[in-house]
Amino acid sequence: MNSSNEKKLKEILAKVLLVDRTKINDRMSRKDVKGWDSMAHLMLISEIESEFGVMMSDDDITEIKTVGDIKRVLRKLDVAI
Amino acid sequence: MDSDEASKERISESVSSQLKDILDLVRKEATHVNYWNAYKRIQRLNLKVLNIPDEKKIKIALLSSFTIDPLGMYLDIKSRLVGLYPEIYIGPFNQYQQEIIDEGSKLYAFKPDVVILAVQAESLLGEDFCSEFVKSSGKERYQTEIIDQFERLLSLLTSRTDSLVLVNNFIVPSFTPFGILDNKVDMGLKSFFYGLNQRLTDLYRESTQVYVVDLEGVASKHGKSRCLNFQMYYRGSFVFSGSFLSVIADEYMGYIKALKNLSRKCIVLDLDNVLWGGIIGEDGFDGIRLGKDSPGNAYVDFQRLLLSYYNRGIILAINSRNNYEDAIKVIREHPYMVLREKHFAAMRINWQDKVQNMIELAEEINVGLDSMVFVDDNPREREQIKQALPQVLVVDIPPSPFLYRQALESLNDFNVLALTEEDKMRGEMYYARRMRKQLEKSMVSLEDFLRSLEMKIVIKHADDFTLPRITRLINKTNQFNLTTRRYTDVEIKKMRENRDEFDIYSLQVIDKFGDEGIVGVAIVRKEPQTWILDSFLMSCRVIGRKVETAFLAKIVADARKKDISTIVGEYIPTQKNAPVKSFYLDHGFRKFQQEGEVSRWGLDLTRSTVKIPEWLEVKDE
Repeated sequence: MNSSNEKKLKEILAKVLLVDRTKINDRMSRKDVKGWDSMAHLMLISEIESEFGVMMSDDDITEIKTVGDIKRVLRKLDVAI
Repeated sequence: MDSDEASKERISESVSSQLKDILDLVRKEATHVNYWNAYKRIQRLNLKVLNIPDEKKIKIALLSSFTIDPLGMYLDIKSRLVGLYPEIYIGPFNQYQQEIIDEGSKLYAFKPDVVILAVQAESLLGEDFCSEFVKSSGKERYQTEIIDQFERLLSLLTSRTDSLVLVNNFIVPSFTPFGILDNKVDMGLKSFFYGLNQRLTDLYRESTQVYVVDLEGVASKHGKSRCLNFQMYYRGSFVFSGSFLSVIADEYMGYIKALKNLSRKCIVLDLDNVLWGGIIGEDGFDGIRLGKDSPGNAYVDFQRLLLSYYNRGIILAINSRNNYEDAIKVIREHPYMVLREKHFAAMRINWQDKVQNMIELAEEINVGLDSMVFVDDNPREREQIKQALPQVLVVDIPPSPFLYRQALESLNDFNVLALTEEDKMRGEMYYARRMRKQLEKSMVSLEDFLRSLEMKIVIKHADDFTLPRITRLINKTNQFNLTTRRYTDVEIKKMRENRDEFDIYSLQVIDKFGDEGIVGVAIVRKEPQTWILDSFLMSCRVIGRKVETAFLAKIVADARKKDISTIVGEYIPTQKNAPVKSFYLDHGFRKFQQEGEVSRWGLDLTRSTVKIPEWLEVKDE
């Protein structure tokens, strides 16, 4: 667990998806968030990749449906979060 | 009815202020994600409630052979950042030809002011063009085909709308299968694109409606390897990276500003540390940095850039805090000055408030403040102009003179769309005149500005830590120096030890921008009934902020505590210290003696005093 990475991720989610950062939790999903369309999804992935210096596989990207999924993929890429 | 209107106005004001807050985020930090965030949030605002004058509206249509939505986002925000209210139309993916050919298309229904046509070569030549290029014959024929196609489309477009048409040229690929032989073979791949761009440019050289945007040049400047973000390209067919989108949008904004009369006509320059290095009033004619060696050569180079602007019709002017004689001597006589008196349409070299100078310059030159650009190395002066005259474009030049040139070159604010009719010019002049009148009314006062600096001052008796700085100030300060008496550090140490006869004060100034350090010194010679101000001086960095009044007030207060009845100030004029000629008079002193050059001024403490300006916080230590 790394709280500064958690904070960075929340910052990106809040800015890209226009959600209140205090309301972000692992269960928040693409279905629930109005602004989380395919364009926003790409934007989100691109920002996360550059912030954490990782490259996600296309399979991972399509499988990401929730904030928890993002963290799972990041952990797979050795990001402590 | 009335309450209805009032509530409408309230809603409109609230939307305006939300819009401003959103844009401030981008102003503060212009990252890709902040542009995205601002764009999405603005989309959610109810902008219809705003009452926008026509001259601030702009409709921009984007037609392209690829996903161009993110460019729309950048153009939207960048237009708003310069006070425009854009409406953006993005043509359907790769249907630019249909949109132009079909008279009933959404493009024409949109009635754009600007049409941007961004077409990739691949979409015209086929995706295998580059890989088959080596084998293909009749390469010039391909060029002709592309040019003909453009000509057909654009003549249709221009016959159907009056809008300004911006056509990108082609980015010359940095890879060629010919390698080092690209310009040895009959026609290499790079040569093909260079030739194509040249033919496109020639085709529209005379046009007053179609402008060829040098995308190739913009890409080279940005670095072609940074123009593409592979992830975004392969996953979402975004042809341009986020960083490049911002640069392209800036290029388009050059045209849009020119179209909407937002271009600037006049550059107003500070002198010290802008046109030359150092401070003429302190360093003198031979001490300023201007010449063949670093950093003087950077200032020469910066002047050369200004001269090139001048030759193109940009007006130059001066707004500087200086003794006129000192500064004008440099402008007239310094061997390395590139700009001379004749290059400046107007000059304000004085000790007046720079805001006032700016207004006077606008009047004298007869341009609007919204046509002016202000270049000053001092962040406080810049802040003052920004606050008082928000219409002026204040350039935040970097601290190093090496980067001045680049900072001014990167502005896209000096463009014109050539053939401006005379009528339009005249209209602009009247508009500027009107704007200026409005502005004078809304100008904040000097006091408001000083208040906003949140200044604190610390006044102390000299100690071991402050003594070296005090000595330096005593021996270096010329302009704000009442007696210009120089003392060695030995003499100062002796005075300090002799506490019965002397008090040495230091003045430190801190404001919201940071700590200025020790900027003022006073030496008081103490007699039984009278304190005499032997020395009173201040660095020119803080002139015009009324801290001298607080400094004097503190000494007066100390004297009062010791039951002193009179404070005597001495003034010895020099060639440099004209700014303080009336210092004692301005603070209620009366002249009682003139002995040669030395005048003596007295303040009777039983009758008058000096007050600390209320916006200054004085810390006692």
